Amino acid sequence: MRVFLTGVLGLALVAAVAGTWLAPYDPGAQDLALGAAGPSAAHWLGTDDLGRDVLSRLLAGAGSALLWPVVVAVCTMLLSTSLGLLAGYRRGWVDAVMMRTVDLAIALPGMLVLIVVVGVLGGGYGWAVLAMAVLFTPGDIRVIRSLTLAQRELAYAEAARTLGLRPARIMFRHLLPNLAPTVVASALLSFVAALVALAGLSFLGVGLPAGTPDWGLMVEENRGLLDLNPWAAIAPAALITVVACTATLLGDRAFESLSKGGLR
Amino acid sequence: MRISALRVAGAGLIVDGVDLEVSPGETVGLVGESGSGKSLTARAAAGLLPKGLRAEGSVAFDGREFLGARERRWRSVRGTRVSLLMQDPFAMLNPLRTAGAHIAESLRGRESRAEVARRLAEVGIDDPRVAGRHPFQLSGGMRQRVALAAALAGDPELLIADEPTTALDATTQHDILMLIKSVQAARGMGVLLITHDLRVAFELCDRVAVMYAGRVVEQGPAAELAKSPAHPYTAGLLAAVPAADRRLARLSGIRGSVPTAAQVAATCAFAARCDQATHACEEERPPLRELGPGRRTACLHEVRPRPHVEEATPPERPAAGAEVLRVTDLRKRYGGHVALGGVSLHVGRGETVGVVGGSGSGKTTLARCVLGLVAPDSGTVALADAVRPRHRLVQCVFQDPSTSLNPAMTVGAALAEAAAQGPEEGRLGVRELLELVGLPASYAGRRPAGLSGGERQRVAIARALSVRPELLICDEPVASLDVSVQAHVLELLREVGGSMLFITHDLAVVRQLADRLVVLSRGEVVESGGTAEVLDSPAHDYTRRLLASVPAIP
Repeated sequence: MRVFLTGVLGLALVAAVAGTWLAPYDPGAQDLALGAAGPSAAHWLGTDDLGRDVLSRLLAGAGSALLWPVVVAVCTMLLSTSLGLLAGYRRGWVDAVMMRTVDLAIALPGMLVLIVVVGVLGGGYGWAVLAMAVLFTPGDIRVIRSLTLAQRELAYAEAARTLGLRPARIMFRHLLPNLAPTVVASALLSFVAALVALAGLSFLGVGLPAGTPDWGLMVEENRGLLDLNPWAAIAPAALITVVACTATLLGDRAFESLSKGGLR
Repeated sequence: MRISALRVAGAGLIVDGVDLEVSPGETVGLVGESGSGKSLTARAAAGLLPKGLRAEGSVAFDGREFLGARERRWRSVRGTRVSLLMQDPFAMLNPLRTAGAHIAESLRGRESRAEVARRLAEVGIDDPRVAGRHPFQLSGGMRQRVALAAALAGDPELLIADEPTTALDATTQHDILMLIKSVQAARGMGVLLITHDLRVAFELCDRVAVMYAGRVVEQGPAAELAKSPAHPYTAGLLAAVPAADRRLARLSGIRGSVPTAAQVAATCAFAARCDQATHACEEERPPLRELGPGRRTACLHEVRPRPHVEEATPPERPAAGAEVLRVTDLRKRYGGHVALGGVSLHVGRGETVGVVGGSGSGKTTLARCVLGLVAPDSGTVALADAVRPRHRLVQCVFQDPSTSLNPAMTVGAALAEAAAQGPEEGRLGVRELLELVGLPASYAGRRPAGLSGGERQRVAIARALSVRPELLICDEPVASLDVSVQAHVLELLREVGGSMLFITHDLAVVRQLADRLVVLSRGEVVESGGTAEVLDSPAHDYTRRLLASVPAIP
């Protein structure tokens, strides 16, 4: 199972890094004479209504489809881990202020905020990604904070305080390694959520500009072709699903093996 | 009940051939350190093995075999013939049900208010209103009484009590043990008492079986076993037990650590740690040979008599003068609960002061105030000087060895980090620190998960000492260690100690270490003075009760 999961994610990574070179055709090249054709020896997954090769577009789109969720996951992880540790370790007013802010942020309807942000700020994709990272952070802050609260009462953390170590050192050198399983697992979950949410944004037409090879956008643009070449819409949707499932399962396993003492 | 050739195995062999018999009206003790397989033996005897473990051999009640029986058949004997009393009174009762409901449930058809009240009275609860209370409204001792009443409600012929008093206070522990004893005598039932504490077993039991690495190594009447152990392991355990009535010149533990049952399947289980071991011990498994009526040992040799440990005169008390700690009128409340109600004490340089008290006496809060982990409401804590930072003046060895070290850090990294917090001049390296606490230098690369409880406590001591503090606080440093390991750690503390504030609930332990004693009760100092004076002629009622609850070795 583990080999299978890492295999799937590995393939996706290869496509993300080298997709443009692996693509048999130029993902933008149109062949209007061909139109929306079904799979053939020349075009394995057929073409879309502008005659663009679907396989090439999938490979070329893997980069942006995977890169941006990774950016979201990493930003979310950095933000939530440092803020969660701070709130849980410091307690008092730092904790109170932060947690009330978190409560507020969680009460916001995420997708709506994203659409508004993208709309108001002129549709820059970078803004959408950043806004998403900020929107995902509060939930993870809660998790990290509650774990920190439990860890800081353990004897080793009290011993570290008794030794007069600086708070930053206690938080990052002593507490953080013991939260690692959760940090890694929730980063993978953020990745999945971002993958799906960004595809959703593209589908709603507020993500990348039309015509960009992007999985979410392909689902949107090609869903009218279901009777001519269904693969043009199904393939990108299936890829999103497979990558999302794989990352979720991998997160589960990473959590298990790390908490069993995989740190050794 | 008769257990014969019981073997329990999961991923590895855990219990390897245990024979045990409990007759009606008899109390049998099953004694062993952690990892000896005693608890699993008890659970196998009640048909309650955890998932994934399998038992072979025989467990019979009145000659009828029950091992491997279906759950249905087990249910017909549980409660009525055999009943189990477990260790943790906090987890054993359902928090949503009243004490009375727990008892009524097992009364089966005879439940009435009067009957429940009668059952509560049997375990020493005279107030019938207790039946209407929920577990969280009861103290630990009360809960254990209720649990006992519930276990007895089906009028069992055999009560299996698994460490029934380990989680309780010294005085409560004594009360519960005496209660089990009196109930056993009144009902004439059999009791199988599982415990790690030899003193408890000797106090309560007619016969005692000592378990080690999954097998019984010695069996016999309690008094005989205590007087002349016939197995080196029993002798070693007895030698390691500290006494409350005298300070021993040397505390001797047993070297090495407990092997798994599988490792020693074909040899004497104790051979690797035994001073008397010969070639023959390694060659085959010594049979449990008969020594006298009901007295058996699994040792091939005549056990050397215990060397008489002479009483030591406490070291000269250092001349009063430099103080490393003076606590004045310290007060701390948590909500309505008074943890410290004006405590004053002092520790002179080179002196060990013991702080004794039961749970809720405020002794841990006192330690945390001195360490600066909590801020007191009022009162002052003055350390050796006001110039140096607090962490160079006072360090602490915490109670729980399972959490006292960071699981993600190697021993070496933890010690190096701690040493870096101390003064530069005369700083000790990791190797020297490990040597100081008697551990090999190779341990620097290990993580806490690869260490035993005793070894972790040694590392924790090294970590505290690496800063070279003026004062060392020990908060129950040996409370969760096995007795043979406890002796090693206490001996180590004696060697390296310096000025110490030693916090414990165990009078026998404090007798071995402290020069002076402070007895805390409900956040107040009720008595203080030289260790010998206080323990030999206690003035306060609370001290007397604490002393009376220490089980004596016959």
